[in-house]
Amino acid sequence: MLIDKFKWMLFLTLVGIKAYSVPVDYTHDVRPILAENCFYCHGQDAAKRKAKLRLDTKEGQRANDIIIPGDVENSELIARIFSADEDEHMPPKSSNRQLTDEQKAILNRWVKEGAEFAPHWSFTSLKRPSVPKWDTTTWVRNPIDSFVINKLKKSGLVPSQEATKETLIRRLSLDLTGLPPTLNEVEEFLNDEKPDAYERLVDRLMASPHYGEKMALPWLDSARYADSNGYQQDGDTFQWIWRDWVVKAMNDNMPFDEFTVEQLAGDLLPHPTQEQKVATAFNRNHLLNGEGGAIPEEQRYVSLFDRVDTTSTTWLGLTMACAQCHDHKYDPIKQKDYYAFMDAFNHLPETGGINISSGTRIKLAKPVLDLGSPETIKKIKALEAKLKENKSEQQIGALLSKWIAEVAKDKDFPDREIYIAATLSESDKTDSQRSALRRYHYTKVLPIQSPELYKDSEELIRLKSEEDPMVMIMEDSKPRYTFILDRGNYESHLSKVVFDTPEFLPPMQTNLPHNRLGLARWLVNPANPLTARVTVNRYWQTFFGLGIVKTSEDFGVQSDPPLHQELLDWLASEFVSSGWNVKYIQRLIVTSATYRQSSVVTPYLQEKDPENRLYARGARFRMPAMLIRDQALETSGLLVDKIGGKPVYPYQPADIWGSLNITKERDFTYPESKGADLYRRSIYTFWRRTVAPANMFDASARNTCKVRTMITSTPLHALVTLNDPTYIEAARKLAEKTLHAKFWKSSRIKYAFRTILSRYPDSEEIKILTQSYNKQLAYYKVNPNAAISILKVGSSAVDATNSAPEEAAFTTLCLAIYNLDEALTKS
Amino acid sequence: MNPLSEAHLKISRRQFFGKTATGIGAAVLSSLINHKVYGAIASPKNALGLPHFTPTAKRVILLWQGGGPSQVDLFDYKPGLAALRLQELPASVRMGNRLSTMTSDQKKFPILPALKPFKQYGKSGRWMSELLPHIGNLADDMCLIRSMHTEAVNHAPGVTFSLTGSQIPGRPSMGSWLTYGLGSIAEDLPSFVVMTSSDKQKTCGQLFYEHYWSSGFIPSKYQGVRLRSEGEPVLYLNDAPGLDRVQKRELLDDIDALNHHQLKLNADPEIDTRISQYEMAFKMQTSIPGLLDLKSEPEKVLARYGPDVNRPGSYARNCLLARRLSEKGVRFIQLMHGGWDQHQNLDTQLEIQCKDTDQPTAALVQDLKERGMLEDTLVIFASEFGRTVFVQGDITKHGKHGRDHLGSAYSSWMIGGGVKPGIAYGQTDDFSYNVVKDPVHVHDWQATILHMLGIDHERLTYRYQGRQFRLTDVHGKVVSGILA
Repeated sequence: MLIDKFKWMLFLTLVGIKAYSVPVDYTHDVRPILAENCFYCHGQDAAKRKAKLRLDTKEGQRANDIIIPGDVENSELIARIFSADEDEHMPPKSSNRQLTDEQKAILNRWVKEGAEFAPHWSFTSLKRPSVPKWDTTTWVRNPIDSFVINKLKKSGLVPSQEATKETLIRRLSLDLTGLPPTLNEVEEFLNDEKPDAYERLVDRLMASPHYGEKMALPWLDSARYADSNGYQQDGDTFQWIWRDWVVKAMNDNMPFDEFTVEQLAGDLLPHPTQEQKVATAFNRNHLLNGEGGAIPEEQRYVSLFDRVDTTSTTWLGLTMACAQCHDHKYDPIKQKDYYAFMDAFNHLPETGGINISSGTRIKLAKPVLDLGSPETIKKIKALEAKLKENKSEQQIGALLSKWIAEVAKDKDFPDREIYIAATLSESDKTDSQRSALRRYHYTKVLPIQSPELYKDSEELIRLKSEEDPMVMIMEDSKPRYTFILDRGNYESHLSKVVFDTPEFLPPMQTNLPHNRLGLARWLVNPANPLTARVTVNRYWQTFFGLGIVKTSEDFGVQSDPPLHQELLDWLASEFVSSGWNVKYIQRLIVTSATYRQSSVVTPYLQEKDPENRLYARGARFRMPAMLIRDQALETSGLLVDKIGGKPVYPYQPADIWGSLNITKERDFTYPESKGADLYRRSIYTFWRRTVAPANMFDASARNTCKVRTMITSTPLHALVTLNDPTYIEAARKLAEKTLHAKFWKSSRIKYAFRTILSRYPDSEEIKILTQSYNKQLAYYKVNPNAAISILKVGSSAVDATNSAPEEAAFTTLCLAIYNLDEALTKS
Repeated sequence: MNPLSEAHLKISRRQFFGKTATGIGAAVLSSLINHKVYGAIASPKNALGLPHFTPTAKRVILLWQGGGPSQVDLFDYKPGLAALRLQELPASVRMGNRLSTMTSDQKKFPILPALKPFKQYGKSGRWMSELLPHIGNLADDMCLIRSMHTEAVNHAPGVTFSLTGSQIPGRPSMGSWLTYGLGSIAEDLPSFVVMTSSDKQKTCGQLFYEHYWSSGFIPSKYQGVRLRSEGEPVLYLNDAPGLDRVQKRELLDDIDALNHHQLKLNADPEIDTRISQYEMAFKMQTSIPGLLDLKSEPEKVLARYGPDVNRPGSYARNCLLARRLSEKGVRFIQLMHGGWDQHQNLDTQLEIQCKDTDQPTAALVQDLKERGMLEDTLVIFASEFGRTVFVQGDITKHGKHGRDHLGSAYSSWMIGGGVKPGIAYGQTDDFSYNVVKDPVHVHDWQATILHMLGIDHERLTYRYQGRQFRLTDVHGKVVSGILA
């Protein structure tokens, strides 16, 4: 064995393992290797542990000469990883895991250097690191930069120069409000030569009501917010009330600790306000399965598991789901911890099924908060009483039967499906045939048979589904026991547990109640090592595309070890000591020199730091589809910037919900909005879980908690921004604006270009765009009908004052600019 | 060339031969152990190190039979049941199995034998329902698995489980895993395509959710692209009115020139990617309409699929399109057909449903065979579960009875792509209620499909939320008994 190892050492030397001067670091270099390759069998899950060996604790590592600090020759771990004997070799072949040569060398060096052990960094309490000393008269603008320049210097890199003012205002506006700056705003900023021009711009943008809309977006992904329940009926909900609460909280700069407590346990605060109850809808945004045959109790547990997963991912950056069936393989989360945590969410008077409907559209599960005005509720009660008195249900039933009998006799009845259904005897009809008859009768026949009955019953449905919003909220009014579930099976109860926080984290303060409120307060107690780190990391991700910890959803043992842990810790502790002041910490980030750098990628930087983890340049990444759409609406002048309210239904491909019509329970025709509602910001677009808006590519499906969405590039995305009427219409409106911009007559191309990109085109770009325009103009002059066709796309009025070929050619030009990489990207 | 596939096909010699001696050893060893026949041909590996071993199938056509066809009536021959007609199913057979809430309150569980007779097909003499004469004729090529079992009792969780490995929506679907692992071989088409259809009577209330073909937490370029039968075949495929192909080409050339200009000033590789994606989008705008244009199909071939082939959105049309897609190199074709959820209408609907699916299914297999493609195409006929032998509803009334969902035993079948032909695998008890021999769990089924594509299901993983996820979760065994 020794000889084997000798050969290996020789091999490693030959392949040229770098000569290290710094000792290996357990957290960054060693633990990730052990976690990935060893903890599955030698970790915290006692049930799965092999050979009674655990490598995730210091005691385990030191037991039985597994690791003898400094003694590579006699440490069993080293012998095993280098062994050529298949029976001895670790990890075993059957594990499908393999150490690379470099990993072996690191472990070897680690033992040689004394096998220093450290607990997992993110589980240790947050200590404020001292800011590296740096000459503040140079590049450094605030402590963030001191951390950054310190690391850059060690890596032999220098910061990029500051981005141009045009780039900066576009970047800041998109980052803070999700909308690009107007031409006037750009001019104003360029002409503002005061030293604090940039800071004042930041303050103006942060005070904009659009700030809340932008900052709410990632939170809605995390909270798996949607406007429907998912599954078969996919009933609509009123959870948008909560969405508006989030936007407002962001705009009011509600401190993050309050934001946390209200959403997790607002209902348990003393004398909770209506707003505080609305906030708790956070944990009622999950899927609801109303499918025929679904077992409510099973579904109730699905919701409970979801609340645990969403809460632990959002605040703790932990995937607790693994501990649903067994002790977590990697993180020190026991199965008991999981169910004790779950107990917090297990006292709702809920059944797991759906129990409130309004018409066929709205489907909700109790408990709810009824937000209808007293007048509306009075109207509803009066109508209900009237309909009851009139025996309206029986009346409608009788009219339905009468009509069915008539249809059955009418061989020429236009709708064949309805005719066939009508001819069948009552018992031969299928459920869906019955629904189809009911719906057909109600919508097309009843209004003629009995206009008053129809009017009243329609009015009742309208009141209930349009004017009496009921938001699903949390409420602890149902005493229930919580059990550990054997293998996560809801029918197999093991021992009883009551709420507690996971054992490996600092305990709850003794004065806190053992319920959701206690949980919420524990999460934002400064002693909690995770919440502040996880939250600040997500803010960083918002601005830089990647978090300081890349795996923003996971801060556990398997997470990405941060290159800039000190920076993260400093920001987190600054966050806590500022009183969880969100705008303060975000302002710190966007006013740093680090943020203000140019994002131009040089081949050198691309090679040295492809993911930009060292921040030698600014961030550059494709915008979320929602913001790409908002940008088109804003720059074309179409945007209707009303804040909040009911979801809206902007353009979607024809019959987008057609596949749902199969159930016949309700009409799934997409109710496309008219007028202003076509042009609201994307955050207000109705989000149907079963069929998400087709032009919102790469977005979270809003089924489960997502704190990191992928940014990918596919041909399907190109098809959206090239062909979706949203973009064609925006291009036309921008063309109209351009043709009417008097002062820009000689430089229309510049106007359109600058409106979208905030900068002027260079001479090469002007040349290409001019040629492009001339080619298209020539085409449309010969084909005036084609010009008219493209100008007709979208429902906004066509401007008849322009020549159609000219406007059409300009439309294609604007469409091209909207599709430039630069337009799709925040740079 | 499709840049998605380009990334996958970039096989450096260094990656292939591995950095270490064990690297080469392991690769050679695994190909020897797993594929004695193909051992001599070293299969090239992509950047992910895939395929793990030589595949027997290059592509998959999954014919999803949504709702749960009744194995009692179609595939799992139980001649003994006739004598037990309307007798109570022994409680010991049900063994406290979970039932859906549609029958969990039912007091009696009378046995309903198969509605129509079974007959023997092919040289293998396989027993299948006479309702499936065309599929029956595939008997000698087919591997019929009669011992499938699952954990779900309802449709959405059941389909989600079969296609993504978890009952809760959010994991990548099988097609996404495969295209992520193996990359694309299609030049100008997406590598994972989905088509849906439903019975003409629209009796089924089950929907085809997007998460059945979603890429979950792996990048969205691996999600299934749905070909629609009405409106645009792919969303946003059509050019805007008043913008024709030539113009569009010119416009794209201009966008391309401007992006290239930026690329000179900024070396961000994302710009380069964007340029090629726009090019691919333009190509797809031509290739997809071409694919859907059936003019080039001889009358004889069309006739083979039955009259429904002329109706866009029918199962028959989708079967034909599946063949055309597979010829173009699409890796994973997922047809989803509804209408098998026969709780109340087994006696009225089963026969119609069989007619709609039987002939087109067999025609697809036949077509592939004639083109020599069946050898490396794996065709799968499967569902989320089967149905109970006991009757649900009122047996005395026409169109008022049927069977409830059953997860503890059901049937599915595969053909081609390295599956053992002409066999029946596994066995259920006398009531087709529990598996008694060679059980095939959903995870086993998934592991086996991946295996045929050269993938070790335990090694195709994706790191998310601190965990290495895989299609088969922490379960699944390759069912070697069905491999050729």
